[in-house]
Amino acid sequence: MENSVTQDGIATVLSNQSLDSSSVRPEIVVQIVDLKAVVNRYTFNANDGKMKIKATLPATLTSDIISGKIQNLGLIRLLAYTVNEIPGKSEEKYMLVTKCEAVAPALDSEIKSESKASTGITLKPKQEFVAKSASQIINEQRGNAAPAARMAMTRRVHPLVSLNPYQGSWTIKVRVTNKGVMRTYKNARGEGCVFNVELTDEEGTQIQATMFNAAAQKFYDIFQTGKVYYISRGSLKLANKQFKTVQNDYELTLSENSEVEEARNEEMFVPEIKFNFVPIDELGAYVNQKELIDVIGVVQSVSPTMSIRRRNDNEMIPKRDITLADESKKTVVVSLWNDLATGLGQELLDMADQHPVIAIKSLKVGDFQGVSLSTISRSNVVINPDSPEATKLKSWYDSEGKETSMSAIGSGMSPSANNGSRSMYADRVCLSHFTSNPSLGEDKPVFFSTRAYISFIKPDQTMWYRACKTCNKKVTEAMDSGYWCEGCQKKDEECSLRYIMAVKVSDSTGETWFSAFNDEAEKIIGCSADELNQLKSEEGEVNEFQTKLKEATWSAHLFRVSVSQQEYNSEKRQRITVKGVSPIDFAAETRLLLQDISKNKTSQ
Amino acid sequence: MDTSSPSVFVNGALLRRFVGQKVRTVIQVMGSDMGSVVGKSTDDLQIFVRGSPPPSLTTYLEVIGIADSENSIRAEVWTNFGDSFDALNYNELCKLANGEFKHLFI
Ligand SMILES: [Zn+2]
Repeated sequence: MENSVTQDGIATVLSNQSLDSSSVRPEIVVQIVDLKAVVNRYTFNANDGKMKIKATLPATLTSDIISGKIQNLGLIRLLAYTVNEIPGKSEEKYMLVTKCEAVAPALDSEIKSESKASTGITLKPKQEFVAKSASQIINEQRGNAAPAARMAMTRRVHPLVSLNPYQGSWTIKVRVTNKGVMRTYKNARGEGCVFNVELTDEEGTQIQATMFNAAAQKFYDIFQTGKVYYISRGSLKLANKQFKTVQNDYELTLSENSEVEEARNEEMFVPEIKFNFVPIDELGAYVNQKELIDVIGVVQSVSPTMSIRRRNDNEMIPKRDITLADESKKTVVVSLWNDLATGLGQELLDMADQHPVIAIKSLKVGDFQGVSLSTISRSNVVINPDSPEATKLKSWYDSEGKETSMSAIGSGMSPSANNGSRSMYADRVCLSHFTSNPSLGEDKPVFFSTRAYISFIKPDQTMWYRACKTCNKKVTEAMDSGYWCEGCQKKDEECSLRYIMAVKVSDSTGETWFSAFNDEAEKIIGCSADELNQLKSEEGEVNEFQTKLKEATWSAHLFRVSVSQQEYNSEKRQRITVKGVSPIDFAAETRLLLQDISKNKTSQ
Repeated sequence: MDTSSPSVFVNGALLRRFVGQKVRTVIQVMGSDMGSVVGKSTDDLQIFVRGSPPPSLTTYLEVIGIADSENSIRAEVWTNFGDSFDALNYNELCKLANGEFKHLFI
């Protein structure tokens, strides 16, 4: 094979303005330079070392370019073309190549007239020119080609962006970035099953692939989220815009005859699913928001599967709860639904004692148990992801995390309330909501979160009671000495004081009274009832008891409260009980206020 | 409150509207020397602050002074804002304070 261009080839082209494959044609070999993709075709400059002419290649040759058969700086033999004038520029011409064949792959450089002047010089191709078809590639993979050899072949893999319905055979190399669940369907043509996957290639292009019936059965277990595959022999069609989840004009349908092979042990980079992790202790701000979040955590526990009856259609669907922890020393429960509960969930249960790290993309944040996470149909779970975050988390867990005591993100807000335990960021109201709705909580107690200042603590109220050290119930002074607990039926020499107090709270909309029990009152006052009692009994220059109460006044807290109705002298009165007290996270509160401002703006 | 010499809340992009006027902003300190501090505004633009910064600076710094170009301030008041500060919130505040809620600010 002569690796050289035809001398004065361009001049020949210009003097033979049209050439078709049937005519007796002169031999014209030119070099392709400045090869560029323009919309759906390629343009280049045809170079003979002396002259260049603008040229285009037909769309039918796109696959030859993508496969590397025709390369920039390579040589082609012109078999059919026409030369046209560029409209408006009569002196400039361009060549429309309709047929050509590859003569040589990319040369080291553009052929220049200097090198042409010394005749006889043949430029060496950069690499051996071996065009491989997609089926050859697949066959060689079957033959267990060494990884290095495979790497060499990946050059022939088509980028997803180049796929179109009009091209012949192709092979793509893609990562499964989302795997759907198997669905059954019934329509006029019968019934069957279908599932789809989202595929992403090295360049980050995505395409959805759909498999029906036999193909669905065949490939459902083969496709695993996060793994890389070679795929060929699928068919492309225009994507249904209504259902499309990825940015691609086309979608792929795989049949039983499609070839799918996992690319194992390859160092080839294919973009991973892009995660944007939210630390567990920051999940509160996302409760009941539309925004989906990603989370990474160490698996603490995995529950058995449960069957939950779905409200809207009464269908029983499988659910499994897993508990995740991260470096914020908080844990959160993630509910896996459907196939994630049965398939992946089982896998997690089997390996739960190894505490794998899992990363989940696209979760809903709900207010069950304060803050909880739930998978949706397009959630993605990756077990032990190969990422720096996962490595860091795992080493934290192994070194200290497993010894650390963790608390649930949703707890601490209301340890005693069963049905009232919701997030501090959900159902937020102002105090006027209570004062302007006197019948609030008439049927059953209702729960809210509110941010308010303690504005007054009456110092002469009965703030505490004597409690049994075992059961916290009220005790009475025994006849001789000590205290008698009715609950325990036991006498103890000592008792402890527990708060039960009323505090006045204020915000910009008004003021009202809250009742607070021991744990919540301790947070409000800043010391235990025993300690406060101690201060009260100490007579001195400064009354420390008064000071303590003063200090507690005019400080703001986030309150979780229940509102109920209680009868006083046959008259119903609203009673607001503090179920949880947390310090104010100013940044989070500000975000909440900004949200409110933008909500008000859009609703106006 | 001294309202005789108000200072406008600005981020990096808003600064250019107030060249010659008194502004206040919070930056993330990137570097400093005797007579100046280079920082990143809450909208990720570079801001130069001239004057005499305090000897030790925290990650976030509030400065009040005259905007002398569209990316520099001659500071009169320097306040360390600590190492954790929600830049996003501050940036939204700047936008609101110069947008439709401008009338609420001095
Ligand atoms: Zn007892």
